Amino acid sequence: MQYTLLITGSPYQTKACHSALRFIKAALLEYPNSIKGVFFYEDAVLIGNQIAQPPRDEINITQAWQDIAQQHNIPLYLCIAAAVRRGIINDTESRRYELEQHTLAEGFQLEGLGTFVDLMNTTNKVIQFR
Amino acid sequence: MKHTLIHLNTSPYSSLACKEGLDLALVLATFEQPVDLCLSGAALALLTDDQQPTVEHGKNLHKLLAGLEFYDIENVFIEANSGLDNTKTWQGVQPLNQAEWQAMFSHYQQVFRF
Repeated sequence: MQYTLLITGSPYQTKACHSALRFIKAALLEYPNSIKGVFFYEDAVLIGNQIAQPPRDEINITQAWQDIAQQHNIPLYLCIAAAVRRGIINDTESRRYELEQHTLAEGFQLEGLGTFVDLMNTTNKVIQFR
Repeated sequence: MKHTLIHLNTSPYSSLACKEGLDLALVLATFEQPVDLCLSGAALALLTDDQQPTVEHGKNLHKLLAGLEFYDIENVFIEANSGLDNTKTWQGVQPLNQAEWQAMFSHYQQVFRF
């Protein structure tokens, strides 16, 4: 069984990103190939902000996602429309909007909702965290 | 192919959730994925006719409703006793009684909530 995770809850207003991280860790421990991809939508895209600086005595939730994704080779997608409107910008978008900086954290990629549809159709189950 | 239900439960004016839920529904439909909508709670405000939101309120999402059929989104469900004055609301909804409403959620392979 392969899962796709759809995360929609803000990393600041909700524990969606944290609960999904706990889920993914548990799933991978038992079934190393059980996660096909993770799609962040709505305020959850704020997870991909590379310049956010959490207090040092708290979890760095962006780093935690980067670590698990790298260890297990899991793609982390942010909805491009949701991300760009919230200031999460990659290099390409930065040039498109003639900005001087980009803010997308390493290990995350901006993709359209079509990528989510593709994940949906190639995994057994989608689980939403909100 | 998976049949998806998008459940809108938040006000169209309190956050982007309603808009982004509708956006997902339209994208699913564009990719020819079967998708239905259901509305409850504060999201029912979406149905009220003659909305005139300012730019600060956000986009007039009510206007999207008339276009849903062009995306082949044919089912928009609400619960029958939801307190709407149905003379002043969009007529394209299908009211369900409580048992039908509860059973509805089991008819889909996936339900996403906004």
